[in-house]
Amino acid sequence: MIAKKVLLVGNFGVGKTSLIRRFVLNEFSEEYISTIGVRVSSKIIQIENQEIKLLIWDVAGTSDDEKVPKAYFLGSSAAMYVFDLSREETYKNINAKVDIVKELSGLKNITIIGNKKDLVSSKEIEAIKKLIPFSIDLITSAKENENVEDAFKELAKQTLN
Amino acid sequence: MAISKIEHFFIEITTNLTGVVTEIVSGKFAISEFKIQQSIYIACPFLEGTLEALTINDPFLIEGMVIVSNQKEYNVDVELLKTENEVAVLIHNRTNVYKYAAQLNQNRNDLFFLKRELHEKNIELDRLRKVADKANEEKSRFLAMMSHEVRNPLNVILGYTELINEEEVSNQVKEHLKYLTISGKNLKVIVDDILDLSRVEAGKLQLSNAPVDLALLIDQLKNNYKSSHRDLDINLEFSISNKLPKFVFGDDVRLLQILTNLINNSIKFTQKGAVSTFVDVISLDKKDVKISFKVTDTGRGMTESQAASVFEEYQQNELDDNRIHKGAGLGLAIVKRLVAAMNGTISVTSKIDLGTTFQVDIPFKVDTSTVIKSTSEDVVNNNYINSSRILVADDNFLNRTIVAHILKKENANFTLVKDGVEALLEMQKETFDLVLLDINMPNLSGESLIKQKEAYHQSNSKTPILALTGNSSIDDIKGYLKIGFKDVIPKPFTSAQFVDLLNKNLK
Repeated sequence: MIAKKVLLVGNFGVGKTSLIRRFVLNEFSEEYISTIGVRVSSKIIQIENQEIKLLIWDVAGTSDDEKVPKAYFLGSSAAMYVFDLSREETYKNINAKVDIVKELSGLKNITIIGNKKDLVSSKEIEAIKKLIPFSIDLITSAKENENVEDAFKELAKQTLN
Repeated sequence: MAISKIEHFFIEITTNLTGVVTEIVSGKFAISEFKIQQSIYIACPFLEGTLEALTINDPFLIEGMVIVSNQKEYNVDVELLKTENEVAVLIHNRTNVYKYAAQLNQNRNDLFFLKRELHEKNIELDRLRKVADKANEEKSRFLAMMSHEVRNPLNVILGYTELINEEEVSNQVKEHLKYLTISGKNLKVIVDDILDLSRVEAGKLQLSNAPVDLALLIDQLKNNYKSSHRDLDINLEFSISNKLPKFVFGDDVRLLQILTNLINNSIKFTQKGAVSTFVDVISLDKKDVKISFKVTDTGRGMTESQAASVFEEYQQNELDDNRIHKGAGLGLAIVKRLVAAMNGTISVTSKIDLGTTFQVDIPFKVDTSTVIKSTSEDVVNNNYINSSRILVADDNFLNRTIVAHILKKENANFTLVKDGVEALLEMQKETFDLVLLDINMPNLSGESLIKQKEAYHQSNSKTPILALTGNSSIDDIKGYLKIGFKDVIPKPFTSAQFVDLLNKNLK
């Protein structure tokens, strides 16, 4: 079985930890506890007939003027950029933010996830899609367990590319 | 915490290139988690993937990782150095440092979300405020319109009641007419109160700041009650201190309204005895004076709880007699707002069966510049209406009839028309001594007509034009005077008021 290191990055409070908790433990908590440093979780998933042990790095969320330390990306095979559909500031300059992640990680592709689908209407989602200059890979809700598994599968597929 | 030995804070381990622990070099921290020949990834899952990617002989630091020892989480910084054959791993326990960093981080993020929530709530509050303001404006507009619509028929009711009263009728009919008049007047007070309150609530109350002769104001108050309450079994007493400055800056109309409302309220709850008004000085210097207005009655008094809620809107304490005076319970609420607008205070003391005292204390600026006029200009005794050419324009047939009746009685030479266009035609062909224009008329309103000065200038350039209207708030009246009306006759009016105003303007 191969192990693949993946990172979840994005502004603080967008729900990175909640997505991982939902994916790994199938749990959700309304309580917001900010992540400090990095917490690594793992889960084995099956992609294209092979088992992959995903080592998921839950990196502490950043504010607009902070960068994820470059050291975290060493040896990473894929990264997920998570933003909050209900908070404009988390996707306002997403293009530049994703470029920084690409530069730090050396990865060509980053999986883009819009989380907290439960807080916005489909009309608002359509408006956000038009606003963002590239396609969003998946719209998720950690709270309602919508598309969470698919998001990590997408991430796992990226590790194989 | 005492400074511990350094080995309490770090552990040094050597692994082979696949992460198997080959040697525990030093340290005590979390030592039980690491075993020779066991994968380091068990205790440090974050190293999987990273270890393999290390560059040989390039020291590497990763910060803030979480490791678990004895079911307890620790934050550590990890230094790695990969050589050809092995990897040296140095793990620093930085839990205490990260504990504070975590708290700061949590606080910062919580603050951010709280600020965001506050911002959203402010937006929502602002939206709700706008909705409420709009609703309030609508309400004020509705009340103003309704008040006007009510005044017109009320004028007719009171006018005809007065006309019938002048006829030869039985005492029983006279008695019925008395109650009809009281009810009509009461309805007028209610309409005025509702309109006033809505204006105060909408923040549209503008107080004037002109010289006020307080002695004259009390005289006026006395005169007002002389005629209207002569049939009551109550003595109305007025007392004014001689220490009062002759003139103060204030709003005489609203002061009169405050005192009238208080006196009316006292009269309402007093069957026998007296209602006394005292005006006295609390403090006085060259520039400022604080004056107390006290209205005391010998009425039935109030309980403490009744007194506590007496200034609330629509507050009506039950009357225990069968009198038909009963307002909308707004008089005292209006008084309280007016007093507050004048930076004053109001209080009430009351004892059951002994009576009630309302005290209003208001600060004023003393006016030393106004010269006392030698004669009172408002006393009009002559009949100037007799033989005067008067034009009356009103679309309401019944109102025209009442006006016609009064003018006929006063021996005026009058013309009646039913709208502004007809009035204009009359004004173009004839010179009048006085013109009465209803404000709201079809085809051409009184407001529009008075603005077309050039159209009637030739024959009526000096003719006093009076507004006849149900819109009788102070702001309305100010507005009418501004566009050229010489005076305003508010509906409903009594024939005495109507005649007085006409004589005043014909003089």
